[in-house]
Amino acid sequence: MKNFMVLLTLFCFAAPVWGAETKLENIRVDTGTPAIKRGADTLMDICHGCHTLKYIRYSDLASLGIDKKKIDDWRGNQPLDAPLTGQMSDDAAMQTFGKLPPDLSLMAKAREGGANYVYSYLIGYYNTAEGVTGNHIFPETKMPDVLGISGAVDATQRTEIQGKANEVVSFLYWAADPHEEERHRLGYSVIAYLIVLTALLYFVKVRIWSRLK
Amino acid sequence: MKNKIVKWIDHRFPLTSFVKHELTGYPTPRNLSYWWNFGFLAGFVLVLQVATGIFLAMHYKADIALSFDSIQHIMRDVNYGWLLRFMHSTGASAFFLVIYIHMARTLYYGSYRAPRELMWWTGQGLLLMLMATAFMGYLLPWGQMSFWGATVITNLFRATPYFGDQIVVWLRGDYTVGDATLTRFFALHYLFPFLIIGGVVVHLVALHTVRSSNPSGIDLADKDNIPFHPYFTSKDFYGLGIFLIVYCIFVFFFPNLLIEPANNIPANPMQTPTHIVPEWYFLPFYAVLRAVPNLVGGVVAMGLSVMVFAFMPYLDRSRIPGGARYRPWYRAMFFLFAVDMLVLGYVGYVPPSDQTIVVGQAATFFYFALFALLPFASKKEEQWLIRRGLPPEVEALMASEVKEISKFPHRRRSGDKP
Repeated sequence: MKNFMVLLTLFCFAAPVWGAETKLENIRVDTGTPAIKRGADTLMDICHGCHTLKYIRYSDLASLGIDKKKIDDWRGNQPLDAPLTGQMSDDAAMQTFGKLPPDLSLMAKAREGGANYVYSYLIGYYNTAEGVTGNHIFPETKMPDVLGISGAVDATQRTEIQGKANEVVSFLYWAADPHEEERHRLGYSVIAYLIVLTALLYFVKVRIWSRLK
Repeated sequence: MKNKIVKWIDHRFPLTSFVKHELTGYPTPRNLSYWWNFGFLAGFVLVLQVATGIFLAMHYKADIALSFDSIQHIMRDVNYGWLLRFMHSTGASAFFLVIYIHMARTLYYGSYRAPRELMWWTGQGLLLMLMATAFMGYLLPWGQMSFWGATVITNLFRATPYFGDQIVVWLRGDYTVGDATLTRFFALHYLFPFLIIGGVVVHLVALHTVRSSNPSGIDLADKDNIPFHPYFTSKDFYGLGIFLIVYCIFVFFFPNLLIEPANNIPANPMQTPTHIVPEWYFLPFYAVLRAVPNLVGGVVAMGLSVMVFAFMPYLDRSRIPGGARYRPWYRAMFFLFAVDMLVLGYVGYVPPSDQTIVVGQAATFFYFALFALLPFASKKEEQWLIRRGLPPEVEALMASEVKEISKFPHRRRSGDKP
């Protein structure tokens, strides 16, 4: 508690400079496939009802290794290479929320703080004194507290919800940049190659310059 | 066989003499440090940007309804499209980094001095074209920052006397940044690199006329020059290896570091981002723009902050060779200027607050004050240095240059009598 108070005081100083960003929780995004798959489950259950992920296709989920039967359930009669468009019409969304729920394909990259922002937002719901839910990270949000963190009182329940939020973030992180793992793998090889090449070029240079007296 | 072909060509085209004149026989000062690698690196990055850009253009759609999606198509579906795109977006930053180091080297060693004024001025022209190309390229992904950045910058042309509003509409092709703006920026973003290549050719022809400057700051005697090839080709390629390692660390591991999060949101003319920032390479000049409270004044100050470098050959009146090396005052001014640039960059990055506005104004004043002081400071410094007695090595340098029969008898050289 004392630590928390100290942190809070520090945030008060930092807030005018950095706005909301410093209030974000710092998480380690689990980029393993199991976490991404569990995140996909949660996301398809509770987020996809309103949100689209138009740059992700059902076939992308299949190539991630998600069970074929599950994908068939999700896509209904849509083809396998259909994008994850929303199940809610724009009109219905406008009527319910007054604005369109944003597409989530790039959400993990589209906010200052990235994955930390999304996580902090998802678990940032609380009950206000007036008995409605508010959000610490994005107070103007129209999205309800879908994970139910505001109603969770005991620690185990909160931990469970935080775990869920973490997995959703894992999925969104993958969705925002599906080639990241491939990029890192290729990057190690390219840089290893370049280090050897540069060392050789250095010796060539030294050799050639040694001709000068 | 090979000789026969070369002979056949030489009858029709000066191949052998060209290679001899520009490469194997081109005399280059042997004392060049690694700071002289950056011109070559800039040329390399230019080629890299053109090469990746052409392939990106094959998959990109310049249409406000399609451009954001087409970038995601490149990032997700095109084979190694993510690599092309990250090489190109990181390449833009690499280009500016290399060019700024290239310019800093020129300023530090006084390479802009006679007879290399035209090198410096063609370089200044190339910088302007590079800035224009980068600015137009930034609109193409059609993200929030693309749109609002282009809106803010094109809006600056409102400061033009009499025709301000018309010029803005003429630039945008519409009353607001829209489809017409996107298509013309794409066309020009594709054109400008080729104009830059033309400018680079002029830059190189000028270079091969006046030859490279060197850390000593004087034209070296023949014995101190060595052929460009193989000595500097090998040195340039080694430098290229180092550059590529740094570049690839960013391309493969931190490519998103230099992309504003807001640019992952499609452009929305109805919603202004809370904080519009340009790319890092424009930040110091953006800070100068914001430091002046009035639009016309700000635009003039920003334009001047970029163009003021062109006056360096006239502002620096010292004849002591070696740039900042043998000139303590100039050296101090150089480093103060570098620090001032960093301060301006920071001020340009953070949202304006009462404190940063004051800091920005002070840094802007300081920026121009350094240039304004230079003619007097450089003259006074020269007198002080001569009165105090120059170090023997500098005396020797100046004396050796006097002895050299210069190709440019009319120019003021470091050894001339005051």
